[in-house]
Amino acid sequence: MNTLTQAQVELAVTTMTEVALANETYFSDLDAVMGDADFGHSLADGFRVVKERWGEFDHSSIGPLLLNVATTLTSHTGGSSGPVWGTLFMRTGMAFRGKTELTLDEIAAGLRSGMEGIMKRGGAVLGDKTLVDALNAEVESLEASAVSGEGTLIDALDRAATAAYDMRETSKGWVAKRGRQSFTGERSSGTYDPGIVAFGDMAKAIVAALKQ
Amino acid sequence: MKKFVDDPTQFVHDMEEGLYLANKDSLKWVPEYNIIYRADLPKDKVLIMQGSGSGHEPAHIMAVGPGMLDAACPGAVFAAPPMDFVLECTRLLKNPHGVLHIINNYQGDRMAWDMAKEMAEAEDPDLKIGVIIVNDDVAVEDSLYTTGRRGVAGNFFVMKAVGAASEQGKSLEELVALGEKVNGWTRSMGVALTSCTPPAKGTPIFEIGDDEIEVGVGIHGEPGRRRDKIRPASEIVDELFEAIRSDLPFESGDRVAVMVNGLGGTPISELYLLYGLVAKKCEAAGLTIAKNYVGNYCTSLEMQGFSLTLSKLDDEIEGYLDAPASIPIRVF
Repeated sequence: MNTLTQAQVELAVTTMTEVALANETYFSDLDAVMGDADFGHSLADGFRVVKERWGEFDHSSIGPLLLNVATTLTSHTGGSSGPVWGTLFMRTGMAFRGKTELTLDEIAAGLRSGMEGIMKRGGAVLGDKTLVDALNAEVESLEASAVSGEGTLIDALDRAATAAYDMRETSKGWVAKRGRQSFTGERSSGTYDPGIVAFGDMAKAIVAALKQ
Repeated sequence: MKKFVDDPTQFVHDMEEGLYLANKDSLKWVPEYNIIYRADLPKDKVLIMQGSGSGHEPAHIMAVGPGMLDAACPGAVFAAPPMDFVLECTRLLKNPHGVLHIINNYQGDRMAWDMAKEMAEAEDPDLKIGVIIVNDDVAVEDSLYTTGRRGVAGNFFVMKAVGAASEQGKSLEELVALGEKVNGWTRSMGVALTSCTPPAKGTPIFEIGDDEIEVGVGIHGEPGRRRDKIRPASEIVDELFEAIRSDLPFESGDRVAVMVNGLGGTPISELYLLYGLVAKKCEAAGLTIAKNYVGNYCTSLEMQGFSLTLSKLDDEIEGYLDAPASIPIRVF
């Protein structure tokens, strides 16, 4: 299998939705350690509306579907999470316009564009201990797999998900530089960033769903 | 809370409905996206839109009409419009000459408008969108919700100038340059005597004592330079005028437009009292007041207070301020 079909991309999005809804309290609890304890609820608010409107979205190809998700998440996810997660779906939606299947190269390029969009919008850079760090681990792994050509597409997604998941431990000792967590300065060292955890959990869950 | 309201959660909707019913011949209304736009939407010019939070009326929905804004899409009270409101409004104004976004400098607004622009450009690569960021408040360099200085009442000078210029057929690039020039020459600062209560919140946005004032307040009740005791009006004007004058700086010989803007709950009598004091300060500083505006332009619901704005003029800008405009509040 060298491409992801549209059905598999749709499964990936519905899996992200389920992870956001199932972990609403857990993600907020992580945020409560150093932030304002709303991250899980904000994210779930947005994905709940995605789930409700899923049937009304434009399923003609991958691009417009992800743009519908982007608009919905941006408008219904509270705080800065709306524009951040909305931008991820907007940029990938633009990159995947007119496509009904995706190659590894296309997935990596789309996610890189999403990551650059988030960095432009929120001003975060690598090492700020945000979602961007997990996304970057995912993208770099995918790009390395595209070069090496090793294994199947699912193998590449699996390695990338592990890289994104492992970022929570890698970044645990870092000091947060963006968002509300950054107000606590050095005290944020030794805690998990909720955005990094959420993205890693989603990446892992997507691979598990695709393997079934 | 004591207000004229039915369902507090429908406050913006019900206000827009009233505005629409009062101006059915000249305005159209899209309630799903809080959009108010010109019924006679022109086809031969750049179209201009603005929209920050509600609660600042007449800014900006009551500044829609020939010679000023072509559309406005406010968010909830004191909240940036959601991205899809801005996107839908941009789609509505889509035309070959381009669409101009005027944005007050707050983080939520910047992100929502930036995303909507990117989305609209992705939908239609031929669509030209120009952006002007308004940041005229000298009170603080950075604040809650902002990325740098705040955009406050000075946005009326930007809207009026680019609105008039667009009616005269100026290009999108020319309008952006003009808007940036006006914004660059405009400075404001406000002071609050009381707080205000957003209908859906039901409680005041900040507490302030009977004898206290907030010097340098933002239009969402954000803290300013300091909390002080109430003082004679002339002393308050002295402080605001000097903060504004020295910031640009405005220099002897400059021609200026002056706005004494009520924050919603200050009687017009007090605003004219303040204007008199400002006029004398201008004269003493060698500034010639070519245009003056006294009234409620950019408010914070029922807050008692005012902001002072000075905008430096040249022949080009003065001509645009003099040009005709027809909007619901008929202030220009």
